[in-house]
Amino acid sequence: MSAAPITTQTTVGHADANDRARVRMSVKNLDFYYGQFHGLKKINLSFYDRQVTALIGPSGCGKSTLLRTFNRIYSLYPEQRAEGEIIFDGRNILDPRLDLNELRARIGMVFQKPTPFPMSIYDNVAFGLRLNERLPKSELDDRVEQALRRSALWTEVKDKLKQSGMGLSGGQQQRLCIARTIAQKPEIILFDEPTSALDPISTGKIEELIEQLKSEFTIVIVTHNMQQAARISQFTTFMYLGEVIEFGPTPRIFMSPEQRQTQDYITGRFG
Amino acid sequence: MSAGTETVVYTETAARGRTMSLSTRNTIFRALCLSSALLVLAVLAGILLSMVIGGWPAFRAFGLGFFTGSAWDTQSDQYGAWPAIAGTLSSAVIALAIGVPLSLGVAIFLTQLAPRWIRTPVATAIELLAAVPSIIYGMWGLFIFVPLFAEYFQVPVSNVTEGLPIVGTILYARSPTGLGVATAGIILAFMIVPFIASIARDMLAQIPTVLRESAYGIGCTTWEVVRYVLVPQAGVSIIGAIMLGLGRALGETMAVTFVIGNANRLSTSILDPGSTIASRIANEFNEAIGLQMNALIATGCILFLVTFVVLVVARLLVARMKAV
Repeated sequence: MSAAPITTQTTVGHADANDRARVRMSVKNLDFYYGQFHGLKKINLSFYDRQVTALIGPSGCGKSTLLRTFNRIYSLYPEQRAEGEIIFDGRNILDPRLDLNELRARIGMVFQKPTPFPMSIYDNVAFGLRLNERLPKSELDDRVEQALRRSALWTEVKDKLKQSGMGLSGGQQQRLCIARTIAQKPEIILFDEPTSALDPISTGKIEELIEQLKSEFTIVIVTHNMQQAARISQFTTFMYLGEVIEFGPTPRIFMSPEQRQTQDYITGRFG
Repeated sequence: MSAGTETVVYTETAARGRTMSLSTRNTIFRALCLSSALLVLAVLAGILLSMVIGGWPAFRAFGLGFFTGSAWDTQSDQYGAWPAIAGTLSSAVIALAIGVPLSLGVAIFLTQLAPRWIRTPVATAIELLAAVPSIIYGMWGLFIFVPLFAEYFQVPVSNVTEGLPIVGTILYARSPTGLGVATAGIILAFMIVPFIASIARDMLAQIPTVLRESAYGIGCTTWEVVRYVLVPQAGVSIIGAIMLGLGRALGETMAVTFVIGNANRLSTSILDPGSTIASRIANEFNEAIGLQMNALIATGCILFLVTFVVLVVARLLVARMKAV
């Protein structure tokens, strides 16, 4: 079964409903290999400007693998390689000549576990800014405060910016990581199961935050939790065994999926 | 002993006909284990005690001046430990200054940069370095390294630094033989690399992949990831590893004795011969008598305390990271 025609069809079919949505990044004929293993097969997808796109599917379906191609983080591992095109801002992300540091400042990533760096809360947020931009102290302070406010953490940490980021709770640490990412003013934020290590209340806060962040950023989120995908995303991609089975506006994917496998997964018959 | 013969007689049926009750057997076993443990402590305490007693006449004769005095005169029986203490500390500092960056480089290369196929051979080679007996380092140092060091480092450097302020004092060889405190420090650096590198490698390998990925994910270069995230994350225990190396460098005897030049006089230059506490003891112990012997034991006592403190601190720091 080829996934490509379905993708195109649904995208076109719903273009009217989202005509303000502009394509921010598009994946064309993407193949991915872990050594000999063919992890992603001919992926074709589009991601729309300032929308949340959820990637769902059973474990091992390739959704995290796909996410990890967008900032080329997979290239840390020599046995992993991608073929095809991911067009972002008129350039192919997979182009080996691309400046990875710049790419990763423009496409930020938040991981499945909170990963505060071993430094103060302030320095955690300022970290990326100091690497990539030369800012005067006052402007740096502003950017850090802005980022902490945007990630709904400011009131909780404003009196202890000099304390270690490791001392925060899990949910706060994850919001700190989001602050660290948005401080760099990226265009796209990738979330790799950002709430899988968090309790329900912290999860709720992160979801609320993602909801707010989409006014400014294009968001791609991998999630195991279908309710989460239904709550926060505008578009949903269902993947299975390294292929995109179905892509479309979230309400349609959940209410009237066109593919049998999508329906089976959503209704909990497998996965 | 009559009980002994009984045991022999009943050996074959020991399972049914035990000569002692279960609790007696347990008590004996426990007592045996406990006494092994206590024996080690007793040996440690005994060594410390005999060092203090043996060194006491020297401490009493010279008081605090023993630590600061630089005389070492067997004719007039005047002894001061300062040149040996200074030699011990400066050769150890040189060893750390060279050995630590080298070890961290090895650890970072092995955990972050090396392709998988090269990791095991390099790691094994590093660990083999730890297995080389120190006498071999000493011989290699004396016969191979010392002449080269004299010709290609001491002579050219002394030519440049001669007469200059400060560097002319610290880096000037009056007699460029190749022997000296710096030479000992360099040999020691190679000896401590395996210790520091293998612990630092373990600590870096323990850091979760996701932390490393998120540092790369923010746009860091490999250097920035290592410098700002990985090394601080492993921080305390890397300091512990360095302290272990320091402990080894302070106490190392054979290799140092070969290459340090064994001068009792204190020189201001690290290119001049000197001595460490360990090398001085090794050199003089055979012929030492009376107060000289006491003075040697007293310097040994100082070394023992310094390395003991360094090792305890190192263990605590390493244990703290492993507990996390």
